[in-house]
Amino acid sequence: METITLTINGKRVSCLEGKSILEAAEAHGIKIPKLCYHHSLKPFGACRLCLVEDEKTGRLFASCVTPAAPDMVLLSDSPQVLKHRRNIISLMMAEHPESCIVCNKGNRCQLRMIAAELGIGENHLYPMPNYKPLEQANPFIMRDLSKCILCGKCIRADHELVCAGAIDYNSRGFDSRPATLHELPLEESTCTFCGTCVSLCPTGALSTKTDFAGTPERESNSVCGFCGIGCNLTLGIAGNMIVDVNPAHIENSVNDATLCVRGHFGHDFLNSTQRLTHPLARKEKELVPVSWDNALETTAKKLLEIKDQHGPESIAFLGSSKCSNEENYLFQKIARTIIETNNVDNGGYLSGRLLLDLAEERTDKAGRFNFFAGPLSGLEQAEVIFVLGAEPDQAAPVLDYYLKRSAKKGTPLIVANPKKIGLTTSASCWIHPYGSPKPAQNFFDTFYLELINLISANLLEKNAIDTSFISRFTSGYEEYKSDLLSLDQKTSVEKANLDSRSIKNAAETLTGKKITFVVGDGLMLQRYGKEAMEALLNLALMTGSIGYKGAGFHILSKENNLVGAWDMGTVPGTLPGRLMINNENDRNIWEKAWKSKIPQTKGLDLYQMIKKAEEGSLKAIYIMGENPLRSLPQPNRLLKSFESLEFVVAQDILFNETVNIADVVLPGAPFSEKAGSFTNMEGKIQCFSPALPPPKNAKTDLEILGLVAEKMGAPEYKSNHEDIRKEISNTISAYSETAACKHPIWIREKNQLQDNMAEKQIRFSPVTSSSETVCDDDYPFIALFGSTRFHLGSGTRTGQSERINVFAPQGEIEVSPVDAEKMNLIKDDRIKVTSVTGELERTVKVNSNIRSGYIHIPTAYNHNDARCLIQLVPLLDADSSGWDSCRVTVEKV
Amino acid sequence: MSDRSQLISTGEPFKFDQERDTEFERLIKRYPERESMILPALWLTQEQEGWISAEAIAYIADRIGTFASKVFECATFYTMYHLHPMGKYHICVCRTLSCWLRDKQAIVDYLRDEIGIEPGQKSEDGKFSLEEVECLGHCGTAPVVQINGEFHEEMDVEKLTALLAELN
Ligand code: SF4
Ligand code: SF4
Ligand code: SF4
Ligand code: FES
Ligand code: FES
Repeated sequence: METITLTINGKRVSCLEGKSILEAAEAHGIKIPKLCYHHSLKPFGACRLCLVEDEKTGRLFASCVTPAAPDMVLLSDSPQVLKHRRNIISLMMAEHPESCIVCNKGNRCQLRMIAAELGIGENHLYPMPNYKPLEQANPFIMRDLSKCILCGKCIRADHELVCAGAIDYNSRGFDSRPATLHELPLEESTCTFCGTCVSLCPTGALSTKTDFAGTPERESNSVCGFCGIGCNLTLGIAGNMIVDVNPAHIENSVNDATLCVRGHFGHDFLNSTQRLTHPLARKEKELVPVSWDNALETTAKKLLEIKDQHGPESIAFLGSSKCSNEENYLFQKIARTIIETNNVDNGGYLSGRLLLDLAEERTDKAGRFNFFAGPLSGLEQAEVIFVLGAEPDQAAPVLDYYLKRSAKKGTPLIVANPKKIGLTTSASCWIHPYGSPKPAQNFFDTFYLELINLISANLLEKNAIDTSFISRFTSGYEEYKSDLLSLDQKTSVEKANLDSRSIKNAAETLTGKKITFVVGDGLMLQRYGKEAMEALLNLALMTGSIGYKGAGFHILSKENNLVGAWDMGTVPGTLPGRLMINNENDRNIWEKAWKSKIPQTKGLDLYQMIKKAEEGSLKAIYIMGENPLRSLPQPNRLLKSFESLEFVVAQDILFNETVNIADVVLPGAPFSEKAGSFTNMEGKIQCFSPALPPPKNAKTDLEILGLVAEKMGAPEYKSNHEDIRKEISNTISAYSETAACKHPIWIREKNQLQDNMAEKQIRFSPVTSSSETVCDDDYPFIALFGSTRFHLGSGTRTGQSERINVFAPQGEIEVSPVDAEKMNLIKDDRIKVTSVTGELERTVKVNSNIRSGYIHIPTAYNHNDARCLIQLVPLLDADSSGWDSCRVTVEKV
Repeated sequence: MSDRSQLISTGEPFKFDQERDTEFERLIKRYPERESMILPALWLTQEQEGWISAEAIAYIADRIGTFASKVFECATFYTMYHLHPMGKYHICVCRTLSCWLRDKQAIVDYLRDEIGIEPGQKSEDGKFSLEEVECLGHCGTAPVVQINGEFHEEMDVEKLTALLAELN
C-alpha cells in the first residue's frame, strides 16, 4: 500500500492509502471532535461532528468516512467548520431532555464535553425533547433513549463486535431509536447484557444500573478475574469501592471494546458483605476472630507437627487457578521445600492439562511442541474452525464473539455438541447425536470419540492428509492408518447415534485445510475424554494442523489462571516451567535454584487427595483460593472426608462452603487488591496492580504465604511480587520476560517445528474405540450439565453478585417439549431429579433446543447443588463416568 | 401515522409459498451480500400475505442468515411495508408538496366522509384501508392516489367516486 501525504491545519501528515482523514489526523496528534466514530467499528458518518474543510474548494467533509487523498489541504477548525459544528451540537441539545444535568454519565458524557469545548451553554433553539420511557427493569443496563443522539455505536457494537443482534434502529426520522426486535424489553431480546454498548455510548442514553451516583474518583486498569480469556478492564473507583467496570483502552487487548456480563456487571461481588476481613480460627466448633499472629502460628505449628508425626505425604496443598502466578509459585515452593511433598494441585484439576500431558507423552518429552493455537486473533486467519464440547457463549463469551465474527466473515465452522448451543446458528455444520437416548445404552459417552474417529477415517478415505507433515515430523502413522482403515464405521455410527451424513459433511468441510480446534470441558471431562483427546491429536497430526499460523488447539479455560497455575507447578507431577518431577535433570534445575531437595515422586492429584483423606492417610490440607466443597461432585462425600482431616487451612476472600469447615481461615485479596500476573488461555501473561487495598484486616495472598513460611522457619521466603517474578523469569525460559512486565508478554514456546528440531518426534497413537457400556435402566434420562454466562465455575464469587442474583436467581432445569408434555410439565413447575448419588429439586423451563430424553441442568445455582448428582470418580480411569453428564430420573413434585 | 413498531404475531409459522420460494432463490444469487435480500424478501412476503407479521420477520432473518432486529429495522423504516393486515383495497394518498398544493386534502376528507376511515385506519368490513404517504413520484400529475399498487393520477372527488363505485 502506498503512503500519501496531505496537509491538515498547515501540518504535513502522511498515512497509508485507504485511511480516512480522521485516522490520518489522529495519528499525528490532531484532535477532531467525533461522536459516532470508534476505531473498532466500521465508520458510519452519522453525527457529522468530525467535519473538516477543504481549503481549496470550501467543501466540508465528514472526516471519519472520507478517505485521505494525496495533496489535500484541510482545516479542522476553520470558522466555517466551527459554525457548523456548533449548529449540530445545538440541534442535538435542543432534542435533549432537561434531565441532562443530573445524568449518570455525568462528566463522562462526550456530548456534554464537546458542547463545553465549543462553548455552547444556553441554547438559542426551541427545545424539542424527544421523550421515551426510561427502561431499567433489568439490574444491568439503564436505557434512557430520550438522550440518544442516534450515533449508532451501540448497534454497530452489538452487530459487529459481539454479534448478538439484540438491537437495531426502528422507524425513521424523529421516531427512530435503537430498538430491540418488536421493541420488547432488553431481557426479552437476544441481549446477553455484555454491556459493550453501554461502554461505547457517548451520552447518558445507555448507562450501567448502579446505586452510585456521579463520576468515579479514579480509574485503574486490571485484568478480569473470572474466565480464562483475561479481558483487560478499567475499574472505576470511588472511596473504597469499585463502582464501575469498562473495557480498558489498551492496544491489542484480547477483548478490545467488549466484555461479557460477568466481567462488566458481576464484579459487584467484590463489595459483598461475605468478604473475609479478619483471620479466624476454630475454637470449640466455632470460627472466631483471632489475631494474625495467632492464625499464622497455629497454621505453621500444626502443619509442622503433622509432618513430623505422619510424614510429609500426609499433607496436601490445593492451590488455585484463580490466584496469581506469583502466589501459585510460592505456594508450591512452600509445599515442596518446607513440607517436602509433591501433593500439590489446583482447582483446574484436568481441563487443559490433559492436552499438555498427552503431548508430552507423545513426544517423550524430547522437545516441547507448541500444540496451542496462540492468540485468539489467529481465529481470523483460520482456514476452518472445529469446536468440540465447548459452549463459548456461556463459558467464555469473548471467545464466542471471535468465533461468530470469523464465521460471519465466511470461515467454515463445525460445531460438535449434543446441545444446541449459541454458536450452532453460525455453524456451517452441527454434529450431534440423533434421537433420544435408548435404555441401557450409553451412547452419549462415546459421542466425541466416535465422531472424531469417523471424521478421521473419512478424511483418510479421501486422502485428505498432509503427507509431507506426516513423513517429516511424525512416527507411527502406518499403524494408525491401518487402524483407521479397519474401523467398523457402521458400528461407530450406531454406538454414538450419529448421522453419517453430518460426518461426511464435516469431513468435506475439513478437506485440504489446516484445522483450528476449540476444545471444552464437555469433551475433556467426559468418559473417554482422554481417548477423545488422543484421537483429536491424531487428527491434528494427520492434517498437519500444528505449528501452522492460526491452526492448532485453543483449550477453553474456564478459570482466569488455569494455564498459569499449571505453569507455576501447582500440580502434582510438574515443577514450575512444566519441568517433570520424575526427571532428574528437570528436578536438578529447581533444586539448584531453591537450594533444597525436592521429593522425587509425583504427588497426589485432587481426586487422590480426597481418596487418601477418606482412607485416613491424609491428615491436613492447605487450600488457597478454591472452594472444593462447592465445585466438586458429591459434596456430601467431600464434606465427610474433609471433616475427618486433622487440620484444614482455608485462605480465601469470601465466606464459602470450604471456609466453613476450616480450622484456620486466612483472609486474602482478590485481583483488584493486589499485584501479580495471570496467564490467559492464549498463553499471554498479563500483569496487574492493585486498585484498592484489601479491606480491614485482610492481606494480599503473597504476604500471607510469606508470613506462613516465616513462621515455619523460612523467613527468606517472604518476598514481594517483583522478587518472585525475578525468581520465575531467571529459571523458566517461557516466562523469561515476566520481570519486565510490559504489556503484553507471551509465553515463549519453542517452535520446534519451524526450527527443524522435531524430525519424526511426534507419535501417532493407536485408534481406540469405545466399548459397549450397559447402563442402568432405572435412570432413563441423561442430565447434561453446563454453566450459564451469569456464573463462573461453581458460582462462589458470581453467587455473591447482587446484580446477577437479581437477574438469574434460579437456574431452571430445561426439558424438551415432548418430555414436558409426557410429564405434564409447564414453566415454573417443580421437578425432582435423582441420580445414583443424590437428588435435587428445581423449577423447569421448556426449551425446544433440548431433545427428548435429555435435561439440561445449569451449574453454579443454589450452592451448586447440581454437583450432588454426579459421582466423584477419577476422570482418566477407563470406567470413569465423567463429570459432564449423568443418568437420572425425573419426576414432578 | 400509527405506531409501526409493535408487530402482530399470527401465532402460525410463516413460510414462502412455492412461487415466492423460487423467486427468493432466484434473487438471492444477485447479491454479493445476503443482507441485501432483506427488502426483496419483505416485498415477497407482502405480496403473499398482504402484510408482514412477526413470524415473517423471524423467517426472513433465518432464511437470509441475519439478525431479526435488522429485518425489523428495514420493515419499520419503509412506510410501504404493512405491519398490520390492510383492507382488501389499500388506498395511499400522496401528501407531499405537489399533491398537497393540488388539494389532496379534499380526497382524504371525501374518503373519511364516504367510507368513514382516517389515514392509518381500516374500514369495519375490512374492505378499505387508508394511508397518507410521501411523494409517489408522479408530481406532474398531482394529486396522486395509489390503490393496491395501481396509480390514479390527477385525482379529484368525482373521479374517486366513480372508482369507489367500481370497486364496490
Ligand atoms: S448489552 Fe451487549 S448484547 Fe445487549 S444490546 Fe448491548 S451490545 Fe448487544
Ligand atoms: S443509545 Fe447511545 S450509542 Fe446508541 S445510538 Fe443512542 S447515543 Fe448512540
Ligand atoms: S468473564 Fe471472561 S469473557 Fe467475561 S469479561 Fe471476564 S475474562 Fe472477559
Ligand atoms: S465522527 Fe464522523 S460523522 Fe460522526
Ligand atoms: S408530491 Fe405527490 S407524487 Fe410527488
